[in-house]
Amino acid sequence: MVAGSLRRPGLPPPRSPELLPSDPSLDAYRQAFELVDLARYTVNSLVVAALIVPSSVLVASWAGFAMSRLPARHARALVATSLVALMVPLTALLVPRFAIFRTLGLTDSYWPLVAPALLGFSPFYVLLYYWSFRRLPGELFEAARLEGLSPLRTWWRVAMPLVRPVTTAVALLVFVYSWGNFLDPLIYLFDERLFTLPLGLRSLAQLDRQNFPLLLAASVVATLPVIVAFLYLQRFFLQEGARRRWTRGAA
Amino acid sequence: MAGVAWTGVHKRYAEIEALRGVDLEAGDGELLVVLGPSGSGKTTLLRVMAGLEPVSAGAISIGGRDVTHLPPARRNVAMVFQSYALFPHLNAAENVGFGLRAREVPKRERRERVAEAARVVGCSDLLGRYPAELSGGERQRVALARALVRDPDLFLLDEPLSNLDAQLRAQMRAELKELHRRVGTTMVYVTHDQVEALTLGDRLAVLDAGLLQQVGTPDELFRRPANRFVARFVGSPAMNLLNARVDADGLVAGPLRLPVPPEAARGRPLEVGIRPEGVHLADDGAPAYVRLVEPAGSEAYVHLELGDEEVVARVAADERPPPGATVRVTVSPRDIHLFDAESGVRLEWSP
Repeated sequence: MVAGSLRRPGLPPPRSPELLPSDPSLDAYRQAFELVDLARYTVNSLVVAALIVPSSVLVASWAGFAMSRLPARHARALVATSLVALMVPLTALLVPRFAIFRTLGLTDSYWPLVAPALLGFSPFYVLLYYWSFRRLPGELFEAARLEGLSPLRTWWRVAMPLVRPVTTAVALLVFVYSWGNFLDPLIYLFDERLFTLPLGLRSLAQLDRQNFPLLLAASVVATLPVIVAFLYLQRFFLQEGARRRWTRGAA
Repeated sequence: MAGVAWTGVHKRYAEIEALRGVDLEAGDGELLVVLGPSGSGKTTLLRVMAGLEPVSAGAISIGGRDVTHLPPARRNVAMVFQSYALFPHLNAAENVGFGLRAREVPKRERRERVAEAARVVGCSDLLGRYPAELSGGERQRVALARALVRDPDLFLLDEPLSNLDAQLRAQMRAELKELHRRVGTTMVYVTHDQVEALTLGDRLAVLDAGLLQQVGTPDELFRRPANRFVARFVGSPAMNLLNARVDADGLVAGPLRLPVPPEAARGRPLEVGIRPEGVHLADDGAPAYVRLVEPAGSEAYVHLELGDEEVVARVAADERPPPGATVRVTVSPRDIHLFDAESGVRLEWSP
């Protein structure tokens, strides 16, 4: 993808594979930014992700924590409900969702994109948190209660620090989803100034279907943040993996 | 500092009744040990005192103050859990200071109190380490320091020594007793280990199936068990219990004959209890067959078949008979306990 993006725009694809184009150039990048407002789309995508990721983590972990503290009977009922909710195909929700947001007058804004995050994004993440919290020894939470911590502070001071790898994973998954989400922005966003990167790429492809260096350059721009995010967060996975023994050792 | 009391405490879970009307109190500064087998309700007794579980009926008081409906944090009790429940993501100092931080004690005072608590339990040099880097005994100390630092009215300890190896357990037992003497705070200590209970407690409460069986000093429990359960549960090896009857000639239990007046039995079917140290091997007496000998250092436990019953005798190691031998056994009437065979209640009598 990178190699292709460095070719001069307008040239046909090479006949044989090449590691680097013989005459590399950044023209494709310049053109991509000129033809469509790639910079604005990138910022838009980042804004959307910045809204979605923290609120998903917050709400999913709250819900999971609450579930893990409920009596087993109630928690089981909620798990069953979550699983049922997970089985509803998202495509089945497209039309009713659109109808709801249009009635509320929230189309052509980021609300429809952010709204799922305010509900924990997906029952899957709630369940992920629920299972992680449930695996922690209950005595830790009882000790916190005896020390006078409110449930909210127990969540923040005791529960969350002990499931950091889960938080990393949830944040990354939600980020990747939000970053690559094409369908929802396509449905809800009409104003070009609000477009996110996937929509931008799409309009670029529609402008010049044959200009591969151009499309590849834009794709590189769109992919880079995800790779950077992964490389950055990967350290946490490894570190937490090595430190996991504390949970087992001390509990 | 304060005494504590459970009054008519019931605790029902969905299907089981963990506590069935417990009346118990511990005086100011007392070390009360609650002893019972697993499932007896002893941990529930602690948890309702701490406020981690509501009672189904009855009342809880600390220092004369009714705390039945107060949340745990407002009861000013500290609990040491069986697993210690140290926070794995915090080092020892942060663990000890956790409650102070939650109560927004200023940093400087917090540091001083943490250092002081650590000094008292002897874990000052461990404060920078994380729970995973501590041994069982060290975690125990940190957990004790965390309980101590808040200066609670009451300490609750839930089998705090059960995760330690035997040697460390004996050492920590002694240290706990010493700690209690120094800080003078009321302590309620729950255990299933009768050796721990007998050595540690000022007073013992024996609990079984949610009912208090007997409360008394270790001596009282050992010398005058109130019923069959206490008799079997306190003392190691356990007391021998034999079916017996009393007729005009005295007490008859298999081949054993003891001079016990008939009125001791009050006309009821009996069980006679004899501690292993009360069973003596002698030149004459009831014949018994040696089935098994368990050496235990300076002494040995001899399993005997006495008629249809099995009896354990505790003898000096160099006096133990070989397995398979036939020996003769005598029992002094002073060493026997009589229990009603049906209710299991102790029947008092004097030789």
